[in-house]
Amino acid sequence: MAPRSSTTRRGFLKATAAAAGAATAPYVITSKALGDATTPPASDRIVMGGIGLGNMGSGDQGGFLGRPDVQYVAVCDVRQKWREAGKGRVDGKYGNADCAAFIDFRELLARDDIDAVHIATPDQWHSIMTIAACRAGKDVYLQKPETLTLREGPLMVAAARRYGRVVSGGSQRVLEDYRTIVDPCWAGELGRITSVDLNVGPPAMACYLPAMATPTDIDWDLWLGPAPWEPYNPGRCDGNFGTGGNSWRSYIDYSGGSLTDWGAHNFGGTIFAAGLLDLQPTKVTYHPASDDGKSAAFVTLTYPNGVEVHCNRPQHLRPQDAKAVVAHERGITIRGDGSPIPPKAVPAYSGTGGIYGDFIDCVKTRQRPFRDIELACNTMTAPHMVALVQRLERSLEWDRAAQQFKGDDEANRLLDRARREPWTL
Amino acid sequence: MPFDTTTLDAPFAALKSFDWGGDAAPFQTIDAAVIAAHADTALRSDLETRFAAILGPGTSRAAKEYVCRKLSLIGTAASVPALAALLADKDNSHMARFALERISGPEPVDALRKALGDVGGDLKAGMISSLASRRDAASVPLFAALLAGDPAVAIAAARGLGRIASPAAAAALAAAKATGPVADAVIDARLACADAFLAAGDRTAAKAIFEAISSAVGNAPRTHRERAVRMAAQSGLFAALDDTVAP
Repeated sequence: MAPRSSTTRRGFLKATAAAAGAATAPYVITSKALGDATTPPASDRIVMGGIGLGNMGSGDQGGFLGRPDVQYVAVCDVRQKWREAGKGRVDGKYGNADCAAFIDFRELLARDDIDAVHIATPDQWHSIMTIAACRAGKDVYLQKPETLTLREGPLMVAAARRYGRVVSGGSQRVLEDYRTIVDPCWAGELGRITSVDLNVGPPAMACYLPAMATPTDIDWDLWLGPAPWEPYNPGRCDGNFGTGGNSWRSYIDYSGGSLTDWGAHNFGGTIFAAGLLDLQPTKVTYHPASDDGKSAAFVTLTYPNGVEVHCNRPQHLRPQDAKAVVAHERGITIRGDGSPIPPKAVPAYSGTGGIYGDFIDCVKTRQRPFRDIELACNTMTAPHMVALVQRLERSLEWDRAAQQFKGDDEANRLLDRARREPWTL
Repeated sequence: MPFDTTTLDAPFAALKSFDWGGDAAPFQTIDAAVIAAHADTALRSDLETRFAAILGPGTSRAAKEYVCRKLSLIGTAASVPALAALLADKDNSHMARFALERISGPEPVDALRKALGDVGGDLKAGMISSLASRRDAASVPLFAALLAGDPAVAIAAARGLGRIASPAAAAALAAAKATGPVADAVIDARLACADAFLAAGDRTAAKAIFEAISSAVGNAPRTHRERAVRMAAQSGLFAALDDTVAP
């Protein structure tokens, strides 16, 4: 399929300027637009588009496309295969060929008929696209990990709040997969939470894959976007879920590795269960490997309420306190002091249809979604900080108000990274 | 125990001819030295000298990229001249900024500001982005002068002024005569300034911006964008008026 439009920045600017003065096409009311017993009329449907239609994006698309209260009108992907597949699913659903297909997300965001977008690109794009969508007045469902750097989170939250947008993070597992630790914690069965142990994967690595000829079915410059220019290699940009190489999730320019990719779920469930959603760590302690080789290095996050979250703490160093109340799930152990505390109701999704339904319901009601971007970004501070101290091999203290590490210039250098021109936040 | 710098000779020799797909194993020694340099100023100085040599002519883009990543961690003013020399080079400009943006002190900012006048197009937008991330007050008049030129650069300049969010930046944005996408970027930046003023307790300055934007958008926004801007301006105005409005 021929791309619907060009992809150059200057071309985009000209196109949007021209579009602003273009005459509008006449609108014909169809029978479907009026709705029926199962489908709301067009005026009540949320008009959506999707950006990034690969593995996770296609799943997200399916979650929204199947809803009668959503009218799905456009897809965007820099890879022809995913773009065409995404368009095909929409056209197949509606029995027409109306779904627009874009290479450049800015063209999709320029469509005023679109109310909301879902974004499932490699992570280097998340902040730029989310902020651009907010500026365009779109609501956003953003795949996890929501951020690639610590500095992006506050900027994304500021954009969402400034423009009054509903922006939901995209970890459905936080509420759905960790109930065996969430329920007892929120019911007060563990008492005051004191500590957590969880196992996390490795951080992303540098990529030195060889240059290969760039295929014609990918806009490589736009795939890289704000990331450093490096030559095309399929292992650099494959969207598979591996993090050991041969996928973008493996590499530091596009991902935080398994530490943030799976960590968004694992930390998400932990932080939700332990009641740390509004908090950010104040101390990040690096425990080096023991000289005798018996203990591997691990990291402890200390929250302002005193809760300690130990990441990859060796088993023999974990407390065996018989009085502790322990809940296990997916490698997570949460301990409480057993003190009596009142139960709290576990927050639930709005609407119907899981996290997708929650987002759509909030688009309609203008409530904050279960996985509101601020809570999601707070969660992501944890794995980002773990990655940072693992890289620096020393402990750090975090000043949340200043969004800086205390007295460590090198650590503060890693709060963000320069984006490749012309991309900026 | 001090880091044995003789172990660096072979890895640096390999780095000179490194290209993507080559053997990256020697980098492990350099990576370890970079970590060790945190507590060893002599080692840091040694590394910076070695890295600067790689940034000169005759080495690959991949090698320069690797060096810029390392200097982004441990670089000091001593590395600025070698990095600054790459700022006008299309292939290496971004990675030079990658390092310079993170190096403390006035030297990297001065270098970025000088390069702003030497480059055009996307590279200029890149300089603006890096200077804005450093919130360089001296860049404000330079950015202001760019609001009326190349639209891509003008948008970057507007966003940069919004990031700096000083009274001078807000004044430059208020004076801008922009249309189309540049005008949108100017409005976004003015809102960012107003939010920053509000957060800093300057309700008067914030209120003036929110009122101006609210008035410009009017009461009948036609697009998602206009509705979002109106919401931003009016909710900001409400917040700015919060402690002066009678209950």
